[in-house]
Amino acid sequence: MSEEKTRAKPFQVEKSKMGIKRQFSQVIDTMYFEVKRNYKKFILMLGFYILMFLLFYILNETQEAQGVEVPDDPEDYILTYLANIGTLIVISTAALGGAIIAEDFQKQTGNLIFPKISKTRLLTGRLIVRYGFNAIFICIYFTLIAYVTDYKYSEVPETLIESMLWALLYTFTIFAFVVFLSSINKSPSAAIVISILVLLVVAHVVEMLLFSMNLENEPLFLITYYEKIIPASLDMPNPRYEDVSLASPEEGEFIEFRRWITPSKIDALIGMLSFAGIFLLFAYVIYMMRQSKNE
Amino acid sequence: MNEKDKKEVLIQFKGLTKKFGSLYAVSDVDLEIKRGEIVGFLGPNGAGKSTTMKMMAHLLRPTKGEIWIRHNGELVKLTSRNKSYLLDNVGFLIENPAFYGDMTARQILSYFARLKGYPWKNLTARVEEVVGMFGLSEWIDKKLKIYSKGMRQKIGILSAIVHDPDIIVLDEPQTGLDPKARRDVRNFLIKLKQMGKTVFLSSHLLYEISEIADRIAIISHGKLIAYDNLENLELSTGRSMLNIELLTISEETLDDILQKLNEVITPLTGLEAQLSEVKYNQDSEIFEVLFDGDPKTQHKIFRTLFENNFNIISFSVPKASLLEYLFINYTDEVREENE
Repeated sequence: MSEEKTRAKPFQVEKSKMGIKRQFSQVIDTMYFEVKRNYKKFILMLGFYILMFLLFYILNETQEAQGVEVPDDPEDYILTYLANIGTLIVISTAALGGAIIAEDFQKQTGNLIFPKISKTRLLTGRLIVRYGFNAIFICIYFTLIAYVTDYKYSEVPETLIESMLWALLYTFTIFAFVVFLSSINKSPSAAIVISILVLLVVAHVVEMLLFSMNLENEPLFLITYYEKIIPASLDMPNPRYEDVSLASPEEGEFIEFRRWITPSKIDALIGMLSFAGIFLLFAYVIYMMRQSKNE
Repeated sequence: MNEKDKKEVLIQFKGLTKKFGSLYAVSDVDLEIKRGEIVGFLGPNGAGKSTTMKMMAHLLRPTKGEIWIRHNGELVKLTSRNKSYLLDNVGFLIENPAFYGDMTARQILSYFARLKGYPWKNLTARVEEVVGMFGLSEWIDKKLKIYSKGMRQKIGILSAIVHDPDIIVLDEPQTGLDPKARRDVRNFLIKLKQMGKTVFLSSHLLYEISEIADRIAIISHGKLIAYDNLENLELSTGRSMLNIELLTISEETLDDILQKLNEVITPLTGLEAQLSEVKYNQDSEIFEVLFDGDPKTQHKIFRTLFENNFNIISFSVPKASLLEYLFINYTDEVREENE
């Protein structure tokens, strides 16, 4: 073959694929790639959510068979399925979000990827897919609750949708926190373990500590506090706290403690969006700084 | 340089400089790479090769200086604003490629091609075509975690060319590969050149560079200290390396042979005696000697060896040995200057 024939044609840039259209298509391509990369985790976590639902269902059915009365209100019945919704959310967001940034540092994939796509678009594509997966878990879980509630009571309270929306927002907030932890860790495993420890163990201990300190102020600074609005929004309590009296070691005396049941809707909305925004902003800045240092 | 030559310049570095704190990783590098040539980029560890390539990939910003890349017939200065389309015509492999092990070569390469805007309709055919260029077609749907290091390196190189750019920038693509894989990569790069691609290649492997590079840039302590084709570099030093292989050499006779070779060759090399001492390379079992690079001198040495009954089985001026000499010579000069 002559050299003329084998010579490549001059590179032609398709103008239609430049600018915003190219940026958008890169995000879409990244999302498509992320779906392929994470579908096994998705199926695993979806199975986990369905398993948890089935366990709660079997528990309810077993208790009913043993003579325990079914709650009169469907809201109370739904609460039995939402008892551990926060734990489920923490586990699934950590599983899907823990590696989102840390893996690039661990595997040093940056040199291969970033000449081809900007960090912003890569992170955007990844965030959409991984949060999207978590949102699907929540939607399916609430759909199952709605289905079984409808089966039992022939009605589904409208507040279930509101509760699901709070669950989606809480998932986003927790997801942002996990992404932040992923940005400061070099290992995805460390990011996952630390996320679970901080959100399930440390936050719980802090909550108990605050309770024992008998603070009257609402703990809006505690990220896990916002979880409480998911079940509470089914039937919003008024007041949103309860005062608990505990017997003092000294005879005849009682000590009063204030326990906050749920944040208000407006506080929850502002609080969760603020937390999510701050954590994502920090994660993004750290990601850019670490990549430019070429760690 | 005439107008035609200017048009052929695809990449131009003008006073390219990168400082990390007070350290100059790259200092005032001027370099032009023309269409269709393979440029070897040589330098010791920490010389600034990867930093230069990262600046070209816009992974690092130059402290000073400019990078110009030809785009639609014009040389255009690389900036943050135009990098996304200017670098579309460039494929990069920077340092060791690290992949997501759970993905297949097809998935990874398709993704990278799409990121560079390669059209969907031709994507499958293109990915299969490039994987076939390295004979990895049977592996295309297997997960990368089961690939050998050499195979992963090949996929890394393919990731740089999958979107069919004109310019390919490869940072040490043959490091850590076995001889067969190195040969495969070498042949692949020659194939790219035949296709009209322009390759900018850094390597420690002098033999690989000497075999395929049209021009060689030598960088040391961040400074470009030589840039030309091998023949001109050789002329500029006025030296060349001669390799002589004899039929039988035993340990007992080695010293005698060396002494005799020095007696007959050293006066003929056209260089000072201390520079033209014959040395024996135990690994290759070859005698090496510097001479003035003049073919007449080369012929005179050959005739003298023949007349003195040396059982010569090979007499050559290999590019790699020369390049090694030039490389060490140039980089030593800079090191001495810096000290």
